[in-house]
Amino acid sequence: MDTLEIRPPLVRGEDRFVAGVCSGLARHLGVRVDVVRWVMVLASLLGGAGIVFYAWLWIMVPTAAEAARRGGRRPASPIAPAVSRPQAPRTTAEPASPAQVRRARRLAGHAREMLLGAVLLLGALVLGSRLIGFEIPLGVIVPVAAILGGAALAWMQLDDSRREQLVRGAGAGRWNGGLRLGAGLALVVAGVALAVSGSQWNVLGLALIASLAVLAGVALVLLPWGLKFWRDLGAERAARVREEERAEIAAHLHDSVLQTLALIQRRAGNEADVIRLARAQERELREWLYRDARKGEGTFTDRLKAFAAEVEDAHGQPVDVVCVGDAPLDGDQRERPEALLQAAREAMVNAARHGGGPVSVYAEAGAQAIDVFVKDRGPGFDLDEVPADRLGVRESIVGRMRRHGGEATIVSSAGGTEVRLHLPGAGTEET
Amino acid sequence: MSEPVTVVIVDDHTIFRSGLKADLDERVRVVGEAGTVEEAVEAIERLRPQVVLLDVHLPGGLGGGGREVLTRSTTLTPQVRFLALSVSDAAEDVVSVIRAGARGYVTKTASGPEITDAVLRVAEGDAVFSPRLAGFVLDAFGTAAVADDELDRLSARELEVMRLIARGYSYKEVAKELFISVKTVETHVSAVLRKLQLTNRHELSRWAADRRIW
Repeated sequence: MDTLEIRPPLVRGEDRFVAGVCSGLARHLGVRVDVVRWVMVLASLLGGAGIVFYAWLWIMVPTAAEAARRGGRRPASPIAPAVSRPQAPRTTAEPASPAQVRRARRLAGHAREMLLGAVLLLGALVLGSRLIGFEIPLGVIVPVAAILGGAALAWMQLDDSRREQLVRGAGAGRWNGGLRLGAGLALVVAGVALAVSGSQWNVLGLALIASLAVLAGVALVLLPWGLKFWRDLGAERAARVREEERAEIAAHLHDSVLQTLALIQRRAGNEADVIRLARAQERELREWLYRDARKGEGTFTDRLKAFAAEVEDAHGQPVDVVCVGDAPLDGDQRERPEALLQAAREAMVNAARHGGGPVSVYAEAGAQAIDVFVKDRGPGFDLDEVPADRLGVRESIVGRMRRHGGEATIVSSAGGTEVRLHLPGAGTEET
Repeated sequence: MSEPVTVVIVDDHTIFRSGLKADLDERVRVVGEAGTVEEAVEAIERLRPQVVLLDVHLPGGLGGGGREVLTRSTTLTPQVRFLALSVSDAAEDVVSVIRAGARGYVTKTASGPEITDAVLRVAEGDAVFSPRLAGFVLDAFGTAAVADDELDRLSARELEVMRLIARGYSYKEVAKELFISVKTVETHVSAVLRKLQLTNRHELSRWAADRRIW
């Protein structure tokens, strides 16, 4: 085994007279190329054995490029990533250890060679017994060989893990499962053999029974597998979807929540920082968990919420946003809602800076108008007493709204201040 | 002051339960706690509290969470009132527990006095609407007022009250703004709650279906 692995793989070489078989063989066996070539030529003189051997190798042995391509494709199995993930929730009782898996792979690799050997042995046995004089009718050999070959082909279609699952699923591992499988196969073989060699009796009823036997046998063999296979396929697909979701969530939590928690631990002494971090993380997580998949990015309420988040981060005051309806922010009309957004942002900044306590923002967006209300619970102020040079309220809220055909009202009392912004016919309608 | 209001706290996080218990003031008395749907149903049946503080997300039962506790305790509902409590403010969580019979909804980030106030209000038979719940109601029922007071629409006054609550007004502030008494505000809010619980309005179902709620 080990010596085999040290040897270079048997591939057709680049240095070639005909197809590079000799040079490849020489490299594989560690013999000089001319020796191999001479042996091949000499063998060809022995009834053409060399030529047959050469042709056979030509067909069977890949070129170096082909071998590389085949080798590179193998890891791209869809099952591989799921298996290699250690935290994957396994439904089977005992998770296979890496060593077991490796052993299974090796066995599976050998199984192919063993199968080939068995077929050759069988062929030799049949031919040998014919030579001795024990006649086995061709009518039996051909269908049996066809059935066995077909079954082998079908099995080779499946990859290793699925084959193992199938065997386990069909219960072929247990004795009664094996019995069922054997009975099914026997029926198939008997049926086909009857159908092929039974023509000499020329009895219709028998042919009918034979056909029925074939069908019953095939059904017996394939039905549990088919069902199981179908069910496994569904379960596997669901598991894969779940796994992908879990991976996405894990990645997100790692990037966001864990980082924030680490930050909070480092800043444990600073209460304001901790609150702000926790609040920002909560908002971000909420946004991620409950985001509305139907809505695209960049609508009016999206922007408003983004502004609120910005203000919240900058000033450390919670800003609660409640939105009813929504308005798109595109087309030629986008300038006006944009102005409203800027005014709302200014109002939120003021509320967070001077209000104290949480800020409530309510937005109602419809076809007729967009309204935004920003309310705080601060001591309030008198608009007329605000100095003229303070651009904040006068210019960026009231003035901006007026320029874009809207209006801003500021109501302030001892219980708090509310900025009411109204923009008629914004976005969708002409005014 | 009258007798404290008896409360059962239903939440699967022990730390949150004990924290909440410490935060509530002397106007309420916690008589029991539960952490799963089964425990909750059993405790409510046995203790008959005035108010149940009910987490929306609960393990156990058939997986229905707080909503399942509500539906399994319907026979007690007139005497026992439910106040939903959740860390989530997603529409499907909020509206589904309200539809199942909760008298109000507060988020877990609310302060102790806020929750106490909400408990007292629910114990009185009134409804507790957060700004967000008011926003959901406006979203679901539509913001266009109708003249008559039919079951599946909000009256102009109810719309006004909902809007003010959504804007962050307390009941007292709403009353002052609309020149009505706090009691009248409470009546309007209760009426909206009833409509939210009873209506089968087509638009409402579609709104809900869009969000996969009911």
